[in-house]
Amino acid sequence: MPQMIACFKWVVDEAYIRVGASGDLDMNAVDYKISDYDKNALEEAARIREQAGGSVAAVTVGVPEATKGVKDALSRGAEKAFFIQDPSFRDLEPSQTARILAAVIQSRIPYDLILCGEGSSDLYARQVGPRLAELLGIPCLSFVQKLTVEGDRVVAERRTDEGQEVCTAPMPVLVTVLPDINTPRIPSVRDTLMASKKEVVPVRKEDLPDISSPFLETVSMKGTSLKRSGTRFTEDPGDVKAFVDTLLQKGVLK
Amino acid sequence: MDFKLTEEQELIRKNMREFTEKHVDPIAVEIDETSRHPEELFKKLAEGGWMGIPVPVEYGGSGSDYLTHIVAVDELARSCASTGFTVSIHVGIACMLVLLFGTEDQKKKFLAPMARGEKLGAFVLTEPGAGTDVMAATTTAVKDGNDYVLNGTKTFTSNGPTGDTYFVFAWTDKAAGRKGMSAFIVPRGTPGMEVGTHFKKMGLRSSQTSEMVFRNCRIPQENLLGKEGAGLLMAMTGFDHGRTGIAAQSTGILQAALDESIRYSKERVQFGQPISRQQAIAWMIADMATDLQAARFLTYHAAWMKDQGKPFSKEASMAKLFTSEAAMRHTIKAVQIHGGYGYVKGAKVERLMRDAKITEIYEGTSEAQRMVISGNVLR
Amino acid sequence: MAGIWILGENRELTGELLTAGGELAAATGEKISVLLWKDRSRAEEYFALGADEILVLPELPEDVPPEALIPVITGEAKTSQPGLILLPATVRGREMAARVAAGLGTGLCSDAVAVRWNGERKTFEMERLAYGGMAVQKVVFRTAPAMATIPPRTFAPAPEKEGRTGTVRELPGPPPSPVRVVERKKRERTVRDLREARIIVCAGRGIEKQEDLRIARELAEALGGEIACTRPLSEEYHWLPEDLCIGLSGISVKPELYIGLGVSGQVQHITGIRDAKVIAAVNKDENAPIFQTADLGIVGDLYGVVPNLIQEIRKARGQ
Repeated sequence: MPQMIACFKWVVDEAYIRVGASGDLDMNAVDYKISDYDKNALEEAARIREQAGGSVAAVTVGVPEATKGVKDALSRGAEKAFFIQDPSFRDLEPSQTARILAAVIQSRIPYDLILCGEGSSDLYARQVGPRLAELLGIPCLSFVQKLTVEGDRVVAERRTDEGQEVCTAPMPVLVTVLPDINTPRIPSVRDTLMASKKEVVPVRKEDLPDISSPFLETVSMKGTSLKRSGTRFTEDPGDVKAFVDTLLQKGVLK
Repeated sequence: MDFKLTEEQELIRKNMREFTEKHVDPIAVEIDETSRHPEELFKKLAEGGWMGIPVPVEYGGSGSDYLTHIVAVDELARSCASTGFTVSIHVGIACMLVLLFGTEDQKKKFLAPMARGEKLGAFVLTEPGAGTDVMAATTTAVKDGNDYVLNGTKTFTSNGPTGDTYFVFAWTDKAAGRKGMSAFIVPRGTPGMEVGTHFKKMGLRSSQTSEMVFRNCRIPQENLLGKEGAGLLMAMTGFDHGRTGIAAQSTGILQAALDESIRYSKERVQFGQPISRQQAIAWMIADMATDLQAARFLTYHAAWMKDQGKPFSKEASMAKLFTSEAAMRHTIKAVQIHGGYGYVKGAKVERLMRDAKITEIYEGTSEAQRMVISGNVLR
Repeated sequence: MAGIWILGENRELTGELLTAGGELAAATGEKISVLLWKDRSRAEEYFALGADEILVLPELPEDVPPEALIPVITGEAKTSQPGLILLPATVRGREMAARVAAGLGTGLCSDAVAVRWNGERKTFEMERLAYGGMAVQKVVFRTAPAMATIPPRTFAPAPEKEGRTGTVRELPGPPPSPVRVVERKKRERTVRDLREARIIVCAGRGIEKQEDLRIARELAEALGGEIACTRPLSEEYHWLPEDLCIGLSGISVKPELYIGLGVSGQVQHITGIRDAKVIAAVNKDENAPIFQTADLGIVGDLYGVVPNLIQEIRKARGQ
């Protein structure tokens, strides 16, 4: 019966980001969400608990306003959440997040299995999981598309560049999951309502070692334009021919 | 004063959004075209606890409040007004009637399966000759031993063909006037109750509507809802809840009209620029956004009043009157913004415009709402 | 700073990283070390491509994953203190980079698409995409060594130069690894590498049934191109292998012509085709975002359009 930790990040929903005329990102009307693949991590933890028993604690690092994200995570099957919070925990870089998580997990959360999403929807740097494993000194199985717990070990099917690799590792172990490992649930109304009744353990900056300095500094974040001319044709046969003629003119059809 | 939904309500809205994107959007055009009741969709709504949000957990519901239900209907109707309406009338009228007026046994027997989404409720009041004028109804319930015997014909029954649990209003004592009507819970399959003509409608097509015919339909005493003679009062309470639901449905339609208009107008280029830069179009959208805001505030306020335990007839009528008329007005504009593309089958605004019309008619026409509101303020 | 390290996975990726590393070596005056992870016999080749030193990683038993080498790499880096470490942004490269970075207590720029030496500030400057490709994030390093993973094909392979040579050094064996590989399934590459394709026809969610992929295949055939797909088709429906999935989490392509069939055009997908010369789309939803990022598009039902399109293309190509 593994004690599990599922890590998640409360991120800006990129669908709401606008790119201003100067190329600056306009975040004025954004909404937030649990980072897409972290939902898979939470789901996988809940799935394993339903099959093998055990417990699930959701852990996040963020700004104090992210309470809605904590409730969202708790509505997805975790029994308890650790909310590591500080107003300065906005736009942390992966090494900071990993160092904070490691400090908190090491000092106060017992675990056999840590689940992380492959990468976050905003930065998608895919570092926090492997970094966290390294800092905790436990094995890491990354890019996992199928996971089973067998006694005190896990068996993971990893996606590699060459194909698939089935690995086993003793617990405690950290696993980063790919989105195809499961389909995250849409929490029921009841799940959402019950989430508020679950325990949330706040952890504040004062309780942590100093991780204030980033290793990597972001000097700018500029919107990119992918827009193209967009000549439109209808489905009329004449238009389809004109479409093909345009391809010929552009020299891409030989 | 706090103009914010709770975090739970915001999450529930987000979850409903995800639900509609995954399960409703892909079939919305098809169920409109074929007038199909999507049984499989309602099964999923039931699993998610969406069919009984304000019903306490001990009666099979999700144990939340009415405003949360209204938020969910708003978001659901944004994707498909028919589905939003079916949930609205099932929860807002059928479930709420038993919850408010039913006996403990009735709550266990009828409310719990409805709140779990296993059974669908239907409100059977309107008659061919009795629309806004409820008192003109002719269906009767005559006491015979321990039973009541129902006779008469009802019409425009939403969920008529698909319902499981019918709430039927009939005269037990016509001479007693407003205190002479009673309400009965009639399960599907009760001998003497038949589904009559199915109606083909302009809009709201996947919601099923029919006549309901009662011929010597025998109902046991224990299926009398509330006290004998309390029917009209209960119907009015049902309307307060139902109208708030229609307001939410209209708000969802209006939101969808705005979504589509913004998207289209920013992409459609005429005279070398997106039509959203034409003042004629931009101002239509400004009015639409403003009315949407007002619609949502009126609707959520009515539901909030209900949750505070305050009378909310006037608020429900105001919300329904304003939102349904705004939905109609602006879906016409949304089609106008889309031009020819908005007039074509499959265009969402075309469906929205057809779906919007009924909101000005059912559960009390706009005229009936004005009667309620003026009656309240001129008292 | 003592050198630029390159930890390429194979000949191809090492060659590309040597181009990136070579430019930076020229700017900084540093030497280049290549860490040999596989292909131990290639030392001479890498000298020719620009390496000054080869660090040979120990050979591992069959059932030990390459990640077991991480302590060896981290240990050596602590001793010889390179200024920059480059890895390919492959599955293994990403994990190794993150863990080595954590071990060294340093920063890592994932999926760098541009790397520069800023001589004034004495730091490496790098660029990467964020928010699903909507934004470019520019970063500098506050710690050493600087580290980056670089997506395959970001740089051209380094050219061979004659008469170059260098030193070879063996690194020590790794500590025991708790992870065991019990099975390796090689993915059969039933398809050509899409990154080489000149013309790509991409199937999106507008394709209703798996059988209907035939329509996309026929169009690809008429064009002399390859078929590809968006993420849902490979990941959710498993209609096509992952090798054919284009986008941020799949592969990035640079064809002369890309035609999306029923592709909605989410930014994560478009990011994978941003370097296509011509982007074309067929979609019945005229509001589909792909029309914003396409050079030309047909608004119409692909089931009706594509057969006509195939005919016209055949005529045009004289088939």
